[in-house]
Amino acid sequence: MMRLPSSLAVLFILATAALLLSCSPSHSNRIVVGSKNFTESFILGELIAQQIEAHTSLKVERRFYLAGTYICQQAILAGRIDVYPEYTGTALTAILKQPAGRDRMDVYQRVKHEYERRFGLDLGPPFGFNDTFAMEIRGEDARRLNIRTLSQAADFSPQWRAGIGYEFMERPDGYGGMVTTYGLHFAEQPRIMDLGLLARALKDHKIDFAAGNATDGLIPALDLIALEDDRHFFPPYEAVPVIRQQTIREHPEVARVLAELDGKISNAQMQRMNYAVDGQHRDPREVAREFLLETKLVR
Amino acid sequence: MLGGHMPAEATTPVIEFRDVFYRIEQIQILSGLNLQVEQGEILVLLGRSGSGKTTTLKLVNRLVTPTSGEIRVHGVPNDQGDIIRLRRRIGYVIQDGGLFPHFTVERNVGLVPSIEGWPAARIRARVQELLDLVGIPAELASRYPRQLSGGQRQRVGVARALAADPGILLMDEPFGALDPLTRDELQLEFLSLQQRLHKTVLFVTHDLREALRLGSRIAMMETGKLVTVLSPEEFLRSADPWAAAYVRAFGDGLTSLANRGKS
Amino acid sequence: MNVVRFILQNHVQVLELTLEHLWLVGFSTLLAVLVGVPLGIVISHRTSFSKPVLASANIIQTIPSLALFGFLLPLPWLGERSDRLAILALTLYALLPIIRNTYTGIRSVDPAVVEAGRGMGLTDSQLLFQVELPLAVSVILSGVRVAIVISVGLATIAAAIGAGGLGEFIFRGLAMVDNRVILAGAIPAAILALAADLGVGWLEKRLHAR
Repeated sequence: MMRLPSSLAVLFILATAALLLSCSPSHSNRIVVGSKNFTESFILGELIAQQIEAHTSLKVERRFYLAGTYICQQAILAGRIDVYPEYTGTALTAILKQPAGRDRMDVYQRVKHEYERRFGLDLGPPFGFNDTFAMEIRGEDARRLNIRTLSQAADFSPQWRAGIGYEFMERPDGYGGMVTTYGLHFAEQPRIMDLGLLARALKDHKIDFAAGNATDGLIPALDLIALEDDRHFFPPYEAVPVIRQQTIREHPEVARVLAELDGKISNAQMQRMNYAVDGQHRDPREVAREFLLETKLVR
Repeated sequence: MLGGHMPAEATTPVIEFRDVFYRIEQIQILSGLNLQVEQGEILVLLGRSGSGKTTTLKLVNRLVTPTSGEIRVHGVPNDQGDIIRLRRRIGYVIQDGGLFPHFTVERNVGLVPSIEGWPAARIRARVQELLDLVGIPAELASRYPRQLSGGQRQRVGVARALAADPGILLMDEPFGALDPLTRDELQLEFLSLQQRLHKTVLFVTHDLREALRLGSRIAMMETGKLVTVLSPEEFLRSADPWAAAYVRAFGDGLTSLANRGKS
Repeated sequence: MNVVRFILQNHVQVLELTLEHLWLVGFSTLLAVLVGVPLGIVISHRTSFSKPVLASANIIQTIPSLALFGFLLPLPWLGERSDRLAILALTLYALLPIIRNTYTGIRSVDPAVVEAGRGMGLTDSQLLFQVELPLAVSVILSGVRVAIVISVGLATIAAAIGAGGLGEFIFRGLAMVDNRVILAGAIPAAILALAADLGVGWLEKRLHAR
């Protein structure tokens, strides 16, 4: 025979359990678009979001500023986001933990296949640009020392301080491999800094060598030069949308609509958009919208 | 039933201690205890603190297990058979009642019947009967122990012990924490209760006056040994040094106690 | 106020993150109760185990939470999904207050009452469920309350490893250097903690041993 307080307690527990189970994440009529926490990722995220908003009747929610590849991966696996922009090279080495490849198509196919098989995630067609790592130096140094490639830079590396992002330090296709491949011998350990601050720091002579990205908006703006990867160390980093297969099943129009972005963004165009946000401090939302209007993807 | 109505020989004691020893770590609590408790009597275990009287009591319902020796209840050694069944057939009253503070008076008294699975109506009736028996007014039935006086709590404790109509009652200084007036009252009430119910009672106390008044026999214990077993009158006249010491310690007016309320 | 307007404007996301947070805290607390209360009961009866068990729970508590998340990452199955990992870590942190309070609560039940019950023929499980637990429930709940409040705070850190929840706002706000976003995460979290504290506290008082 249960006393009133005991049965009340049991009821309470059951109610709590029921409430909890209903809290486990899921959302059926919205699309959640994620992005990482740097400018190019916001812009891509906005492009994806606006494309879906313009061409479908779905409501889009933005969940940007996710702090890194791992967090985005977790979020999409858990269903907290439905789609986010990733790079084929990053997916291959950081998530699938496989050695880097050289060939764009090969890398894309491998990632697409593995993502479908292991994670139930679909890879949409690439946006069109290759945001691989670009080792940047100041324009004045490049002209004075007459160097254009990374191999040439090796001789001058002992005089330089390098600045790199955190992920570049940790990733197998990052700092360690580059230094070995090109025989770079920097005087000190590289300074690890926020990606957004690298260009500035380079310009201000706080560092002499920055591990930036090929589509950095500030490259042309601040007269920085990206050294050529003549030994082809850095794998391709094509930007692609990663979509949950479940989302595609429930809303096939999402895949269709994102496929329209196939090959639409060149390196130069991405650089320009990045600069608009980083250099001119414009709103990524507006920059994305402008692009979609210009390319007639949206009216 | 543990054979309360067994057609055993009239001389089978209800409780029997045979060569019982009990020791914890290096301390010998009980040595060589041999004692019988007869049907319908109140056997008082008298002794001072540390004499082993409470331990002796707890051996009966197996709250304590002897190091060697046997305790028989209705002729059957109490380490055979179901210990739970044994305990439910024995009423157990301790000082200050040991009532469950989160149960009402009614639920406390009805505890053993309820775990024995009696139907609710029967439990209610029995509780009512017992509260009447021990003199607890019906309106207190839904109160909690902390809302009762010490004397009332003790009465409820007795009622609880009697609820399943056990043949045996174990009482461990049940009136010890009460003021003298209430104690006196409860002792008399208990005597009259016993006249009606004829339970077999093992009663622990250190108070000679209580022992003389209530006991049909007094078993005196000192440092774990049974010193002597005497009727109250015999006790007063006894030449035994321990008994004499007790009588001296308690002063005058004992004779009348010894004679009061005996059947 | 800016923050309030921001929260109202983004109420959908605030709500969603709050639910995620509740899921992390609630599920882990439930697990901690399911493991911790029985464990507390066991060590309160077999006190020889009490020292090692309490000491282990204590040690877990001293590990900085972010470090614990990090330790668990390489594990198979668990490390693959950060919400699983976060729930495990939160459960581990909730264990100490729950085990310790269960232990204390049961040990503080008047031994005379327990002995009286045993003497009357209550079985061990009847003693546990009808006497010890009801008398200890208020203290146990107090341990649960502490566990929940701790968990609400720790769960904000879980966002750092991608488990979602209100911490995501906080980290995002820090990266954007935008106080409104930080507060949009911090305020609901604080409200959750307060609500849990008051709610369970009320329940404790109701069930306090009479």
